[in-house]
Amino acid sequence: MKRLNNYRILFLLVTFIVSSSGYTQDSIAKQPLLDVNYFSYDNNIPYVQVMARLKQGRKFEPIKGVNIKLYLDSVSSSLLITDKAVTDETGKANAGMPTSLQKEWDASPTHKFIAEASGVKEFEGERAEIEITKARLLIDTATASETRNIIATFTALENGEWIPVKDVDIKIAVKRMGGTLTIGDEATYTSDSSGTVTAEFKRDSIPGDAYGNIVLVATVEDNDKYGNLSIEKTAKWGAPFAYHSTLNERSLFASRNKTPIWLLFMAYFIIGIVWGTLIYLVFQIFKIKKLGKQAV
Amino acid sequence: MDTTITLTEEQISRDLYPQKFGKRGTIWVAILIVICLVGAYAYYRQLKEGLVVTHMRDYVSWGIYISNFVFFVAISLVGSLITAIFRLSNVRWSTPLTRIAEIIAVSAIVFAAIIIVVDMGRPERFLNLFLHGRMQSPIMWDVIVIGTYFFISLLLLYLPLMPDLRILNRDPQKNPRFLNRLYRFGGSFWKGTKEQFRVSNRAIAILCIIIIPVAFCIHTVTSWLFATTYRPGWDSTNFGAYFVSGAFLVGAGGVVVAMYVFRKSYNLEKYITDLHFEKMGRIVVLLALLYLYFNVNEYLVPAFKMKKPEEQHLTQLFAGEFAPLFWFAILVGMLIPILILVFKKGRKPLPMFIAGVMIVIGAWFKRYLIVTPTLLHPFLPMNDVPESYKHYFPSWQEWAIAMGSLAGALLIITFFARVYPIIPIQETINEQNEKAEQL
Repeated sequence: MKRLNNYRILFLLVTFIVSSSGYTQDSIAKQPLLDVNYFSYDNNIPYVQVMARLKQGRKFEPIKGVNIKLYLDSVSSSLLITDKAVTDETGKANAGMPTSLQKEWDASPTHKFIAEASGVKEFEGERAEIEITKARLLIDTATASETRNIIATFTALENGEWIPVKDVDIKIAVKRMGGTLTIGDEATYTSDSSGTVTAEFKRDSIPGDAYGNIVLVATVEDNDKYGNLSIEKTAKWGAPFAYHSTLNERSLFASRNKTPIWLLFMAYFIIGIVWGTLIYLVFQIFKIKKLGKQAV
Repeated sequence: MDTTITLTEEQISRDLYPQKFGKRGTIWVAILIVICLVGAYAYYRQLKEGLVVTHMRDYVSWGIYISNFVFFVAISLVGSLITAIFRLSNVRWSTPLTRIAEIIAVSAIVFAAIIIVVDMGRPERFLNLFLHGRMQSPIMWDVIVIGTYFFISLLLLYLPLMPDLRILNRDPQKNPRFLNRLYRFGGSFWKGTKEQFRVSNRAIAILCIIIIPVAFCIHTVTSWLFATTYRPGWDSTNFGAYFVSGAFLVGAGGVVVAMYVFRKSYNLEKYITDLHFEKMGRIVVLLALLYLYFNVNEYLVPAFKMKKPEEQHLTQLFAGEFAPLFWFAILVGMLIPILILVFKKGRKPLPMFIAGVMIVIGAWFKRYLIVTPTLLHPFLPMNDVPESYKHYFPSWQEWAIAMGSLAGALLIITFFARVYPIIPIQETINEQNEKAEQL
């Protein structure tokens, strides 16, 4: 009886744990997250990316179809960057700086981007903003004796002048298909008082294009003050990639007139032996026929 | 042949002489002809309308036709087992079975070739295989090796038949006129001289040697049609041996069925004895165990690893859409026959016949399971395709053509048995004489 009671307690405990964990999972409210990020490539016209996600526990779910209104500095129809941005299936919506706001953009070294969301229940009335200081990233190469260096310089706009900025983390890498590859031992370098980082290029045998060109890239990522900046430079530091076409070579996957010689030899050798024997055997039938006539 | 009974030459000739169809034989032939005609009509529709009358679509482009082709190629392998391997091993008891095995081989290989042409949407392009064939392609190897195997099987059927043609030519009044013409054309020159026997026996010995590697090639190459393709269920190094072992099993099963049917139909109990069933039973159980072993390798090892692309395929076979067919093929095609034949009582004619039928039916479905499920499990998901592309069940035309081809193969065997002695008369007489001399 006592054992039965123990089992009953165990059963209730398991049921409670299972049901309460399920309840806990369902009961966590979904929290809307609206993020604004600033991007500048090659010091050109920047663009802003707004990301809409729902957070539940540790899960982040990108939300498609959120309408975004984006403003520069303050919520005003005259400072509207766009009201037509809609998040895609990755929850992202991008908006470039319109030429109509050129004057406002040039007026100040720091700006605020304000995003307002609508169109999806959870995001109705949600707002997010980011403040950035205009910055510039430059990239150059220098070769001294056997050493090849990449020099990146980071400057920020202050009182109408580009001032070098110290202690900014800059990634130096070489562009490859689908991503980047570090050029040496370090992935990230920190700028000195002149806003400069110098990185030694150690990927000597890396394949480039047909002329040996590779694309070097310097990036500042998710900087609280300056946002995301990136710049590229092509250098002739790679090994020229010579494309070797096998189209006209004899191979197993080639056309019928490009069959490998060894395969042809083997196939015809076997066919010759087998069919040679069979032809010999057919002659044996004629021989039997002849013997039959002779026997008469 | 029963070792205790000594038969006279006349009695052997009389017993083994081709007989006219009885009532049951006529009905059997009529049924087969009707099935063939329905198949021919279905093929006419396919020619007229195109392959759209089948249920093969973009994904399942090899359906029941190719399964049938693999089945025919498999069953044809028995010619090399019974005729060549036994003859070279000096197994004398197999003499009454050699011609049965050879005619099964010839009829199966004929319909293997025909069914491939049926599978082609444009059969008039068949010649292009020879005019523009790529030697790198396993399909080309298959065409070459099937043609070669057919020719060898035909020679192996014809050469031992010559002495019997002399017996058939002996009394023309016994035969219809067209058969006399056929017998004269095939064997009027056979006088049974010592020199003729010497040349003939030598030619048969050469054929027996050459047919073994060609037979192994025919089924290995057929397996490579699949194994050289990187697809779940086909991407296997085990495939050649797996196919060859399966082919030996279905071929031996087919011979057992034919032995029983011919014995019953033509009252051949004195020639195809219980001893033949006993010995064939032992061979079949050994082959079934061998094939089971290769099946364990083929399915258990990938299932143990459960690589992602294989997972869906194997799950569908073990517990999904194809599970009833899969377990039917394993149970009926292997396990139950093993259980029947492993016991001495199971190696009697009737249980052997039942086991043989089970093996042949199981083997046919096994070929279907090798070909089709893999095609329904491509590496990339099936998106934006009509629902009919995602499943496959043969259309009535496909069934009719497949059944018509099976009936056609049986018809060749039936007509052959009507025209020629299904058990070699001269060889049986020779063996009988040898036995008498020994006594």
